[in-house]
Amino acid sequence: MSDTKERKLTIARAMAESVAQYMRKDEKVFVMGEDIGVLGGVYGNTRGLIEEFGEERIRDTPISETAFMGAAVGAAQNGMRPIVELMFVDFFGVCFDQIYNNMAKNIYFSGGNVKVPMVLMTSTGGGYSDGGQHSQCVYGTFAHLPGMKVVAPSNAYDAKGLMNAAIREDSPVVYMYHKGLQGMGWLGTERGATVNTPEEYYEVEIGKASVVREGTDVSIVSLGMGVHHALKAAAELEESGVSAEVVDLRSLVPLDRDTIRASVAKTGRLIVVDEDYHSFGVSGEVIASVVEHDISVLKAAPQRVAFPDVPIPYAKIMEQFCLPNADKIVATYKKMAA
Amino acid sequence: MSIDVIIPDDLWEEDNEGVITSWLVSDGATVEVGTLVAEVMVEKIQCEVESPAAGTIKITKEEDDVVNKGDVIAHIEA
Repeated sequence: MSDTKERKLTIARAMAESVAQYMRKDEKVFVMGEDIGVLGGVYGNTRGLIEEFGEERIRDTPISETAFMGAAVGAAQNGMRPIVELMFVDFFGVCFDQIYNNMAKNIYFSGGNVKVPMVLMTSTGGGYSDGGQHSQCVYGTFAHLPGMKVVAPSNAYDAKGLMNAAIREDSPVVYMYHKGLQGMGWLGTERGATVNTPEEYYEVEIGKASVVREGTDVSIVSLGMGVHHALKAAAELEESGVSAEVVDLRSLVPLDRDTIRASVAKTGRLIVVDEDYHSFGVSGEVIASVVEHDISVLKAAPQRVAFPDVPIPYAKIMEQFCLPNADKIVATYKKMAA
Repeated sequence: MSIDVIIPDDLWEEDNEGVITSWLVSDGATVEVGTLVAEVMVEKIQCEVESPAAGTIKITKEEDDVVNKGDVIAHIEA
């Protein structure tokens, strides 16, 4: 009767459940952002919160990211635990001074006398023709700058556990969720993201990757939507007798370099899948983690399947041409192994 | 005895079609009366479909399938 315990949630529901449960036990936690109140969030991740907690703790803001991001930093430094939503990560441009000069650095600037316990949750990714200023991931941009922890869940279980860990964390955490994994239909459908999720409190440790599929011939390392591409590629490779391991990074900062290195030490081959731009990003950092450590484990030069260094096209056929997918991963492996 | 899981007539206001965006139970799972089993999106608004009976669910419409009010999307074997 194990199926009676089944409790599948979409990532959107898992995020909302984590926030609601935390808010019930800690009155310092509140949520701020655009359309996170009555609408329940464009991506469904704050549904039901305003009905339970009211407008004082679930605060719809004007379209002024600098103002509410700065307000969140100030509230955090004064004892609150704000969760603030940047609706599309692409909008970071208008509020980046508050994010990386204040949120990220004030603990350091104050010599540790000030804490900044806030969660900046923000949507990433494309695939549904929303154009080049609503479809980016920019994981590398946030992970590059010191002072912020960065997480990116690929399924509902991790989404809830990472959100709990992020709210409890005394330093700022950037929580980057992929729109196509939210279970929102018009943004894409990915069944693999809707998984069993316990109702009780638990945390997924920030900074720990997860080996979501074990294998011996190649390590496919990814995050967010890329994990699902990787799993589909691994299933396809298995049909031709290739055993692929899939590593879900889950956190970018801190990066779990040990798990990446252990996987590649076992398989000898590394493919990094990243929906962020190809150059100067997460994919390069993952590869560097391995080659700086020990190149003797490698049987082939590491490869990346990432978004080309171009603005994201609006036209569906052109966007899909650019995005990582399972076929590209399989083709990359075949070239490596040739 | 088999009971149909039907998209209720009052689940959303107009007579637009919707799309099943997520099944929140697996095919063959045991459900109770009122278990939230699926989400249906209509004009970017998500509606919740609950189980009308207790038993084992047999899913007949998949994610991304277009549905209308009154459509049967699953059966419950009591």
